[in-house]
Amino acid sequence: MTNFPLLTVIAFLPLVGAVLVQLLGRGRLPRWIALATTLVTLAVSIPLYVGFDKGSSELQFVESASWIPAWNIAYKMGVDGISLPFIFLTAVLTILCVGVSWTAIATRERDFYASLLVAETAMIGLFAAANLFLFFVFWELMVVPVFLLIGVWGGPSRVYAAVKFLLFTLAGSVFMLLAMIALYSEFGTLDFNELAGETIGPTFQAWLFVAFLAAFAVKVPMFPVHTWLPDAHTEAPTAGSVILAGILLKMGAYGLLRVSLPILPDAVQLFLVPMLVISVVAIVYGAYVTLAQTDVKRLIAYSSVSHMGFVTLGIFTLDQGGVEGAVLQMFNHGIISAALFLCVGMIYERTHTRQIEDYGGVWKLAPVYSIFLALFCLASAGFPGLNSFIGELLIIGGAFKTQFWLGTMAIWGVALGTTYLVWLYYRVVMGEMNSGLAGLKLELNTREIATLAPLAFLAVCLGLQPECVLSYLHETVHALLTAGATP
Amino acid sequence: MNGTNFTDLALLLPELILVGMALALILSAHRIRTAPLATAGTVFAAVAAAFVSYWLVSADPKIGFGGMVTLDGYSQFFKILIAAALAVTALLSERQIRAERVRPAEYHALLLLAATGMMFAASASDLLTLYLSLELTTLCSYILVGITVEKPKSNEAAIKYFLLGSFASALLLYGIALVYGVTGTTDFAAINSAISENGLGSNKILLAAIGLLVAGLAFKIAAFPFHAWAPDAYQGASAPVAAFLATASKVAGVAAVGRVCLVAFGPEAHVLSVVLAGLAILSIIVGSIVALSQTNMKRLLAYSSITHAGYALLGFVAATSQSGTSDGTAATMAYVFLYVFMTLGAFGVVIALGQRGENLSGYEGLAVQRPAIAALMLLFLLSLTGIPPTAGFVAKFVVIWSVLRTGHLALAVLAVVCSVISAFVYLRVVVFMYMKEPSEPVPSRCPWAVSVALAVAALVTVIGGIFPGSLMSWVDKLIESFNL
Repeated sequence: MTNFPLLTVIAFLPLVGAVLVQLLGRGRLPRWIALATTLVTLAVSIPLYVGFDKGSSELQFVESASWIPAWNIAYKMGVDGISLPFIFLTAVLTILCVGVSWTAIATRERDFYASLLVAETAMIGLFAAANLFLFFVFWELMVVPVFLLIGVWGGPSRVYAAVKFLLFTLAGSVFMLLAMIALYSEFGTLDFNELAGETIGPTFQAWLFVAFLAAFAVKVPMFPVHTWLPDAHTEAPTAGSVILAGILLKMGAYGLLRVSLPILPDAVQLFLVPMLVISVVAIVYGAYVTLAQTDVKRLIAYSSVSHMGFVTLGIFTLDQGGVEGAVLQMFNHGIISAALFLCVGMIYERTHTRQIEDYGGVWKLAPVYSIFLALFCLASAGFPGLNSFIGELLIIGGAFKTQFWLGTMAIWGVALGTTYLVWLYYRVVMGEMNSGLAGLKLELNTREIATLAPLAFLAVCLGLQPECVLSYLHETVHALLTAGATP
Repeated sequence: MNGTNFTDLALLLPELILVGMALALILSAHRIRTAPLATAGTVFAAVAAAFVSYWLVSADPKIGFGGMVTLDGYSQFFKILIAAALAVTALLSERQIRAERVRPAEYHALLLLAATGMMFAASASDLLTLYLSLELTTLCSYILVGITVEKPKSNEAAIKYFLLGSFASALLLYGIALVYGVTGTTDFAAINSAISENGLGSNKILLAAIGLLVAGLAFKIAAFPFHAWAPDAYQGASAPVAAFLATASKVAGVAAVGRVCLVAFGPEAHVLSVVLAGLAILSIIVGSIVALSQTNMKRLLAYSSITHAGYALLGFVAATSQSGTSDGTAATMAYVFLYVFMTLGAFGVVIALGQRGENLSGYEGLAVQRPAIAALMLLFLLSLTGIPPTAGFVAKFVVIWSVLRTGHLALAVLAVVCSVISAFVYLRVVVFMYMKEPSEPVPSRCPWAVSVALAVAALVTVIGGIFPGSLMSWVDKLIESFNL
């Protein structure tokens, strides 16, 4: 089994599933094929987590094959401690996406599940790519299925949201294409490891950093280019929101960790202060905007801007704890924002309204739902014992080490985060029952509980035992910070 | 005309095959009443010509007819590509011939003769051969555009195309005359040596002649500001003819631009690189911006073809700004190769939808009614946008790589920024197909010939995108025998 191309199989299994869905998809078959494919993908990926050597910072499970010999570009896949958790997250979240779409998606199921599975291939492929060319291919491949997911199965102004998402993303990624070609024509290679070993002039690095940032900042999304996010997240179907918030937002931060930090260390130093400032602005500004929202989905979408601000803050502290916290927080945000969107989606399927004022007193009708929502709101607010707490703690620790005021602002952001989440919970779940909800059957069914339970389990489990994820990170982050950018 | 002998004819075997088939069709025109027979003849001739061209490629370039034609890797590449475009176009024509009651033998004979002219243009190494071959092509094209005589739009398009086309031919001829006046020759290699040996580099008349020649050729590839005929001609012509103009005709023009700029006027490369850069970037900008407001699918694809002509020229910009390297030329060759198939595919979908394919609103809800056709269109549009893993991405990658390597940063930035605008153009069609409700009845099934053509185009678009390696090494190998 030593030469078994495990990563390739994991990455392309969903694509095979998508083809099967298209070919055999009659009646109810597509959802069953999709469920089976996503479950098998998760099962096949288990050897990765078990067999991974946590004591090494090298790429593992490396596969390399000749691809475009004329250009010296190889098909190379491999994982390290940073990418591994996200492959797991992708595999888990896609299963839940199938779960939540089971009855919510009634039209054109074949296309829906095929898009979802193609998106899974793109996401896993992105996290497993070991050279920039492959990374870019999967990066762009991701755009198309998400565009369709939002535009076809989304809310009332779905086309606007889908096109906005697409144009923002493409506008960013063409600069990444340019930077990639510039790197390639300079060094003749696009392998991440080889590029990290090259010495790149400081001016050239600065330009490359800006070009890559254009692509990554849109996806994160960082402060001035976040405006596509509320529209896309709000209009997307629940599964689309889960993919967007859970994985797609992580692609940008992952890009910073995979490309900017190791390959462009001097430019990272140069842009360190602006990056930290933008991160803090995203945290505080994002939180204030979140407070003002009246639409549940929009509220959670804006909270992502604030939470991803923590992630970029952690990354640019360039501190072992801060970067580990950032990666952990990416993972946590993937779980919690996905869970919150799932919760909203499940209740929306019954009430068909997303306005907060149309809710109230939900706990009387749906106690189990209320408990889940309470858990996820607390987790998102960074309640001790739940997963976000450790991540935010590490990031804020790193921020205090860098600059006192950064830490202070971050704590302010946490306080605001608690406010909007508790207030949301208060308005939706507690208080007098809204008369418009009378007679509706709001309580979750078994399928929905089964969809939320894994995320609740992960939230509690990582809150009590964050080493589950952190243990993968120590060596990789250490190597990343010692080899490349140091503060 | 020394050195001409009978064996030189063997070098023209691909063209002779096409001419032979054209003559056979014309002579038996009264017998051929149904399309399939003529289609089969054209496809057979095209495939045979492509294979013969492939087989004729040799390591050292051959010059025939006293320097009038050159057979090197470059010309063979374009001949194969033109033959392939001809075969696919012939298959695509099946539906229109029947629907618009065109006489099949005449139509196919004209296609074959136009392709013959294009093949000559690809191998022409003398300005006179070039002029004659382009005239043969455009004369056939005028008739093809107006071949649906009962349609006023088609007649109007043919007349417009004819007027502007004659104007461009006049420019070309004027340029040739001036070149002859300055250098005393029309042979590419002789012009090259005359310029460098006699120190004509900054000769005003020569520069004017180059300007006229480039303008005439820019007309053939529909580059801005010589693009005005294309949208009207494409819209008025029947879709397969438009497809033929957008692909084969453009490819022949690109081949001619390359040989004229790199071989005949090699010593003037620094001037040409500026001129070509201007043409390229303006075509990209204007094509992508004007395409935004189009509602007729053939017009939209016409502006798209103007944009892509600009991208294709980027490779020649690189080649002329850094003489002695073949990377830029190889980039253009790879670009046009992949462009031909994705464009033929997009036109193929327009044809497969019949009347519904003409207008953008006809694409509403196509994904519900005909998911397979919609998926194919999605593939071709993504490829035209340049999104991996389709062929369009590889094409864009090579041309931008070539200009970036020669230091044209601004050009590269403008090119990629415009690709976002183009993305909006193409994805508007996707929005119509996938995100709107159907408003028209389900289109009828398309003839199997069209399906075959679509399959070929889709296959190249996918394989060219995922495994571009063999295409790249093939182009690199061919260009070694480019008779610079």
